[in-house]
Amino acid sequence: MSEPLTPGQRAAELFRQYGIAVVFAALFVLLALTLPQFRTIANLTNVLQQNAVIGIIACAMTFAIISGGFDLSVGAGAALASVVGAKIIIEAGIPAGILGALLAGVILGLVNGWLIAYAGVNPFVATLGTATIVRGLIYVSTNATPFFGVPMSFTALGLGRTGPLPNATWIFLGVAIILAFVLHQTRFGHYVYAIGGNIVATAEMGVPVRRVKLLVYALVGVCAAIGGIILTGQTASGQPQAALNYELVAITAVIVGGASLGGGRGTMGGTILGVFLLGLVSNALNLYGVSAFWQPVATGVILVLAVAADGISRRSVFSLS
Amino acid sequence: MSTVSAVAAPTLRATDISKRFGGVVALDSVSIDVAAGQITGLVGDNGAGKSTLIRILSAVLTPDSGTIELQGQPVHFSSPADARAAGIETVYQDLALAGNLPVWANIFLGRELLRGPRALAILDKPRMAAEAKEMLSRLSRNMPPLDAPASRLSGGQRQAIAIARAAAWGSNVIIMDEPTAALGPAETRSVEEVILELRDRGFAVLIISHNLEQVFRLVDRVFVLRRGRMIGSRQLADITPEDLVAMITGASAIAAPQVQA
Repeated sequence: MSEPLTPGQRAAELFRQYGIAVVFAALFVLLALTLPQFRTIANLTNVLQQNAVIGIIACAMTFAIISGGFDLSVGAGAALASVVGAKIIIEAGIPAGILGALLAGVILGLVNGWLIAYAGVNPFVATLGTATIVRGLIYVSTNATPFFGVPMSFTALGLGRTGPLPNATWIFLGVAIILAFVLHQTRFGHYVYAIGGNIVATAEMGVPVRRVKLLVYALVGVCAAIGGIILTGQTASGQPQAALNYELVAITAVIVGGASLGGGRGTMGGTILGVFLLGLVSNALNLYGVSAFWQPVATGVILVLAVAADGISRRSVFSLS
Repeated sequence: MSTVSAVAAPTLRATDISKRFGGVVALDSVSIDVAAGQITGLVGDNGAGKSTLIRILSAVLTPDSGTIELQGQPVHFSSPADARAAGIETVYQDLALAGNLPVWANIFLGRELLRGPRALAILDKPRMAAEAKEMLSRLSRNMPPLDAPASRLSGGQRQAIAIARAAAWGSNVIIMDEPTAALGPAETRSVEEVILELRDRGFAVLIISHNLEQVFRLVDRVFVLRRGRMIGSRQLADITPEDLVAMITGASAIAAPQVQA
């Protein structure tokens, strides 16, 4: 029968649930106390601004990872949205451009979803393949050079502010609230967890698991496109090289936030904390004047530490002894 | 009890079911019937065709030939969902539980209760938890904690959840594939109590079991499969364990004189 947890197991369980929040809070307090530049409004706003795009993508990536997969094509998807969006904005205006960029993201997502859910292609292979193809096509069609002509008014989206927050942060906030609701309150989100926990059982109980997976990757495609539109808004140009390696940063944020690559586990709150934990570390390195080349090192160390700590705490909770 | 059940019309009847896989005959003109308020056993050696037969009854497989009747009406199921909609629930050995989901979510998996605007499909978690609690309390004395993920529970508790789910949604027939194969003696006993409770509530229960002691403890009538053929059925009251073993293995014909069916 299910025994009550031992104090050690309870501690490990608490760590699993709140560890990331504690680490985040501790780092925040430490930086606020030791670095006067850190606690300025301008710097904190800057952190919010810089992490909005990766945050939007990571929120959607949370769905893919909880369902037991992931999406390596989000960087290419954001670049696709940037290039397609900028082209259409130049030719046909801003609303059509935004719509076209979102549509490009949806199509990429549906292709990924179809490959994974219906053709049975492994998510790694499917999304690595589409990422490579899309990035290649973007380079072919743009000669891999940014192009200008997007009206400067469009930078309001990427660089402007409304009230206290950057516009990109408002968009991130909206996406995060909507996706947190979808993941934690709706049947669709529930099925994402069920599929990640036991896809065979979920299918046996009559859940349309293929359709759920297809929609998950379509959602990731849309969010990658939103990210790409914001990136276009930061430079008023189409950026073939936009969002390079964003897939790895987004996956890292989700994993650091407590999700498991095995599927079935993760929360939207954890992902958001993961995004800002990485953001704080990168901001701190900047403020301390550490070379930008150290940032991937820091990100990698955080990723490995988070996963190792989680593995150790899980082993103690679920030990079979 | 056996006299009452002998006259009861079968809830589920399958007649002359055959199934081949490539050149292998898995089932050769097999017939079985399962009556309400009874526990029917299905026994046989490994490879005798038991799993194939229950997969046909629960519509995971379609038979090459043969007919299935539910309460006297011929039925043609094209998917497990059809069988389930007709009130036939199956508890497979893997139990079909998602280990990361809480108990209540597993009971409602695929049949979630919703609230608010339909288009949003918002889960009604409190109502599912409350109804799951009631479903479990009717069946199981050893109530698993409703919010615990299924992976945290004991094998017996997991089995109880899978059975409670089948009982909650099944209206006619509950089929179980070796419900206690992975359990220790105490848990086996509590799952057997659940199975008896289902019988008393009027379900037609069909169980596959390898455990002949269990068959004699639980079952009202037993069907014996050997190499894809139905050797026969017996009321348990009428046979000895030695007779049953002889039927399963085909080792000896001396059991034959006791045939009553």
